[in-house]
Amino acid sequence: MTDAPLVRVRALARTYVIGGVPVAALAGVDLDVAAGSFTAVTGASGSGKSTLLNLLGGLDTPSAGTIEVDGALVSGLDREALARYRRSVVGMIFQSFNLVPSRTALENVELPLVFAGVDKKERKRRAAEFLDRVGLGGRTGHRPAELSGGEQQRVAVARALINGPRILLADEPTGNLDSRTAREIVGLLDGLNRERRLTVVMVSHEESLVREFARRIVRLRDGRIVDGGDAA
Amino acid sequence: MRPADAVDFALASLRQRRLRTFLTASGVMIGIGALVSMISFGKGLQKNVTRAFEASDLFTTVTVLPGGAEKPGGDPDGKPRAKAPGRADALLDDAAVAALARLPGVAMAYPDVSFPALVGLGDRREFRLVQVVPAAAVNSSALRIRWGRAYGSDDENGVVVNRTVLRQLGETEPAAAVGRTIRITTVSIDLARLATLNLASIFSGASSPVSQETAEFPIVGVTEVMAFGGEGGLAESAVMIPPGPAGRIKRLPFSSVWDLFRIRDGRIGYSAATVRLASLRDLDRVRSKVQDLGFGTFALADQLEEVTRAFRFMDMALAAVGMIAIVVAALGIVNTMIMSILERYREIGVMKAVGASDGDIKRIFFFESGAIGLAGGAAGCVLGWATSLLINRLIDLYLSRQGMPHVAYFSFPAWIFLGAVAFAVLVSLASGIYPARRAARVDPVVALRHD
Ligand SMILES: Nc1ncnc2c1ncn2[C@@H]1O[C@H](COP(=O)(O)OP(=O)(O)OP(=O)(O)O)[C@@H](O)[C@H]1O
Ligand SMILES: [Mg+2]
Repeated sequence: MTDAPLVRVRALARTYVIGGVPVAALAGVDLDVAAGSFTAVTGASGSGKSTLLNLLGGLDTPSAGTIEVDGALVSGLDREALARYRRSVVGMIFQSFNLVPSRTALENVELPLVFAGVDKKERKRRAAEFLDRVGLGGRTGHRPAELSGGEQQRVAVARALINGPRILLADEPTGNLDSRTAREIVGLLDGLNRERRLTVVMVSHEESLVREFARRIVRLRDGRIVDGGDAA
Repeated sequence: MRPADAVDFALASLRQRRLRTFLTASGVMIGIGALVSMISFGKGLQKNVTRAFEASDLFTTVTVLPGGAEKPGGDPDGKPRAKAPGRADALLDDAAVAALARLPGVAMAYPDVSFPALVGLGDRREFRLVQVVPAAAVNSSALRIRWGRAYGSDDENGVVVNRTVLRQLGETEPAAAVGRTIRITTVSIDLARLATLNLASIFSGASSPVSQETAEFPIVGVTEVMAFGGEGGLAESAVMIPPGPAGRIKRLPFSSVWDLFRIRDGRIGYSAATVRLASLRDLDRVRSKVQDLGFGTFALADQLEEVTRAFRFMDMALAAVGMIAIVVAALGIVNTMIMSILERYREIGVMKAVGASDGDIKRIFFFESGAIGLAGGAAGCVLGWATSLLINRLIDLYLSRQGMPHVAYFSFPAWIFLGAVAFAVLVSLASGIYPARRAARVDPVVALRHD
């Protein structure tokens, strides 16, 4: 590789202890993610896909190994620094959308800016702009319960992007959507990847979607990469 | 996260669970309300008693005791009251009282003389101690005569009574009592006849040396009884009579058998004398002079410290009662906040995923419990104030039927309210510490994993 990768994962391991028995969700993963790439992560249920994404997203900390993003070590950051990392470097979307039900679409999109300490007026302005970008300009005042699954995921995408992250992490973003809507959402991510050179790492079971949009497919089995990885 | 946003988030969450917020804040309200009324009652009592003391002659009065006596009246069972008992041979007679009156700093001095009598008005009769009080003392500002006037001289044929004894004698209208005639019946023993008789004939009444005599006096003035009895000495006296007419009433030369133990060289002397100071500042000087004369002294001013200590103790006891309610309210807050964490588990995960720091989450929950405290505390002040007024009303209503004047039993200095609100917020914040920490420690991976 000529370019230094945006994300550099080495010997990454995450072990959960359940009832005194250690379970290795990830058992030594090496992976480089190039800036501006669209990477899909697939694998059977329980193979460690979500665990990998949570580690990349700074929601979890590894048991062993390192994660470097843009040359900076993410593994080993303290809780405060990790919160800053989540706030400014990555954006995440999930299978279950994870919107706050009591807040409107606009307020949900605004949320990352609140924790970034952005002034209220500026927040509202930017949130409205991002909602517009994902095609929900007219739904700012609606609560999640008043939106369809596809619309909720669009709100989640707007929320993930509002802080201008380097990487978008998507954990089975289409798992709760019908195939047409699923295609729309992945198409939206694809557009962002192409037009804005947003780095996307997406976990998905849906082979057809993965094959259509991802430029690279990483396959996990029992916490190890069995296909498409980067040897150390 | 800006503090204003944390407050916004906290309030939004409280608004979302209105009923529970209301109930939790009500717990704080009741606790603070109880505390406020308890403390204000303590303060009110203190204020009333202190004011009654200050308005009366109690602090500027020194009771002078003859040798051997530790307490006016000489009752050996009573708690000794004199700080320094006098010399055993010190006789408190007219000459001694005159000497007391001449001491610098002494405004007036008179012997404490009282005798038991059957006091009658109309067809009602009551046993009472009749107090012999010089006109100067009755006229002093320390005694409030609400109806009529004080007797003008030591020889005027008239008495001053208090309102309580009037009511017991069936006269509920003090103004109407002024001018009515009161009968004072005393008992005397003819000692000359006593020597010649045997006991059997005494008690058969055939030729008794014991005789009753009734004298009649117009009521010239009626004193008001203060709610806290603070006027002490004189205002408590049921019947006050000037020395002149008192001297003409035939009676026993002592009011208690204990008086007989004080007989020196055939003279009894007075059981006590009252010295009124010109000013409280003269207390120490006058007291040491009186002690130089060989007499014991007792001044209520000495008890002031004890009274203050008693009030401090009472404040603490009242506050302790209020504190129980506060503790219950605090547990309510902890409970509500933990419930809130469980309900918002996923939301906390979301907030963390989009960049909330532990501190941000902590602050939101902290402000939430603080807001409950602020609202509950403010409402508690209103509640405490309102219930106090209500209770005061009810007491007034009840006591006015007994002829007692209106009294504000509760005192509300501003610091009570400010302190109560600050305390409520403090307690609530303290209650929020554990829940806030717990919220901050929520693992976003776990919170976001499942629906
Ligand atoms: N918080 C946790 N505590 C204990 N074990 C966990 C935890 N999270 C994940 N695991 C375990 O780690 C392994 C990997 O889980 P992970 O969620 O990464 O799988 P996945 O590939 O995302 O599966 P799925 O396709 O079902 O989402 C599983 O065996 C799971 O039981
Ligand atoms: Mg998963």
